Amino acid sequence: MPITLKIQRSLEGKQWTQDYSLELEKGMTVLSALIKIKETLDPTLSFTASCRSGICGACAVRVNGNAVLACETPLGDLVKRYQSETLTIAPLANFVVLRDLIVDWKPKYTNLKKIKPALQPKDEFSAAAGCKQSPADFKKYQKNSECILCGSCVSECSKSTANSNDFLEPFVFAKAQKFVADSRDKDVLAHLDPAVKEGLWKCFNCQQCAAKCPKGLNPAEDIEKLRIMTFKKKMSSNAGSDHAQAFYDDIRDTGRLDETKLGFKTEGVKSALRVPFAYRLMKTGKLAPFEKTEVIPEIEKVRTILSAAKEVK
Amino acid sequence: MKYALFPGCVLRGAASEAFLATVKVTEALGIDLVEIPSWTCCGASHLQDVDDLTALAVNARNLAIAESMGLPIMTVCNTCTLQLRRAKESLDTDPALKAKINAILAKSGYEYKGTAEVTHLLWVLASNPQLLEGKVVKPLTGLKAAGFYGCHLLRPPTIMNYEDSLNPQSLEKIIRLLGAEPVNFDFKLKCCGFHAFWTAEKDVMKVTGQTVDSAAKAGAEVVVTPCPLCQLQLDMYQPEGRTAIQTSAELPILHLPQLIGLALGMSKDDLGVKRHISAADKVRS
Repeated sequence: MPITLKIQRSLEGKQWTQDYSLELEKGMTVLSALIKIKETLDPTLSFTASCRSGICGACAVRVNGNAVLACETPLGDLVKRYQSETLTIAPLANFVVLRDLIVDWKPKYTNLKKIKPALQPKDEFSAAAGCKQSPADFKKYQKNSECILCGSCVSECSKSTANSNDFLEPFVFAKAQKFVADSRDKDVLAHLDPAVKEGLWKCFNCQQCAAKCPKGLNPAEDIEKLRIMTFKKKMSSNAGSDHAQAFYDDIRDTGRLDETKLGFKTEGVKSALRVPFAYRLMKTGKLAPFEKTEVIPEIEKVRTILSAAKEVK
Repeated sequence: MKYALFPGCVLRGAASEAFLATVKVTEALGIDLVEIPSWTCCGASHLQDVDDLTALAVNARNLAIAESMGLPIMTVCNTCTLQLRRAKESLDTDPALKAKINAILAKSGYEYKGTAEVTHLLWVLASNPQLLEGKVVKPLTGLKAAGFYGCHLLRPPTIMNYEDSLNPQSLEKIIRLLGAEPVNFDFKLKCCGFHAFWTAEKDVMKVTGQTVDSAAKAGAEVVVTPCPLCQLQLDMYQPEGRTAIQTSAELPILHLPQLIGLALGMSKDDLGVKRHISAADKVRS
């Protein structure tokens, strides 16, 4: 079957889309197609790749707007998925493009270093005694060790796309959680504090990172775990943590969310500035500020569950 | 066809018109809904930031009540769907966790078994198009409708696996069955930003503006979404969204059951469209 790959190209500030037609061969991956183009059609096409086995993370690109690891993505599957013999290939989004499909990792490494991506061993460990932990403790961060730094998770990240200046990449949060969860590490705050300062509570919760990781990591869930740790470490609250706490409190108090108080519980007196917006909603009946939230009949049973969950900890 | 309805908080509050439309439309289509008694908030993707075990226990309780009704669960909110399905997935794949949660639930007399499936109105209709047969008395012929899926009905795809998350078709299928024309637009599968409103407001307003602008530029006359939270974000904050990206695009944002209701011959007023903030007058009556 003949297919067309429309590849986004760039060189020295010039950008263009170039069409390449080739025969879809059995077992052909996105990477083998790129290699074929380079070897037989256009030696100037530039991309990065190394292991061809989904280990090195060098070959991630976007196909039809979605990040994939080129070496392990069969082209035939994509033709079927998008019901089209024409596919677009572009460099990962939310990266600076160096040339064609090659992106610049330097700014990403700068961000990665912010969360101190190395074990801060507890004082009880030494070269002689070793640095042991139980299999159960190892399991707590094992999955996070499998990140191959391919960049797929940040490509379609909604927050990074809207504004990446105050937000770390999802894989950076995943890396921070790796060390926060490691029982051998003595300094949780060394990893957690920079994560909080660099946007931990600004995640859109769009789940793009979880959807795109080719190794099955879940940075969105890691962000949740880091947030829980901010409560455990009694770090100072902010609109994000106060908002989350409001849901907990409302479930305990009535079983359901009290929309009328959510703004105040999240922002405090600052919420008074939102009066014009509230008026907009009141005009069509969307907001009823004096309506009392109904308490569910089984509220005592819910409170028992909340207390029991706390005791289990 | 009978389901245990999990309405979720927003259908009892800011999006009560979606509750109204859901009840009327399901009644007209012969879908029997019984509200889960004493359901609680699903945590709305925020509760687990305080305590994950509590979030799991709260939703295990919601699921357990539905199980005792002997019915599958239907939701009309993407985020509720994700929270309930996520809890179910966690409990069904980890016997030790299930036992831990059941020990917590036992103190209030509940038991989670794992017998009730969790689905969404959109999925029920897309899987059962015969329900609409002969019911579309006022086809929305010529109406260009942009379907906005919302993140939590698609991702993470391991849990939200009804259809291909990168190329879903269910919403377009329903739009066509109603006689309208689905409009493809760049922001169809993107995030409305609702859950980060309080912490990244400026960025959220930008995506709100971009979403509506993208649909308008693709020729849509209306945006329709299966998620009441996306509807709230795109409707309530459309003025701020316009300012954020300097556009004049203004579109009505309809809840899925409202669009269906219009095609079933119900009036705008019957479906609570007048409660909307943006361009409600542009909705065909």
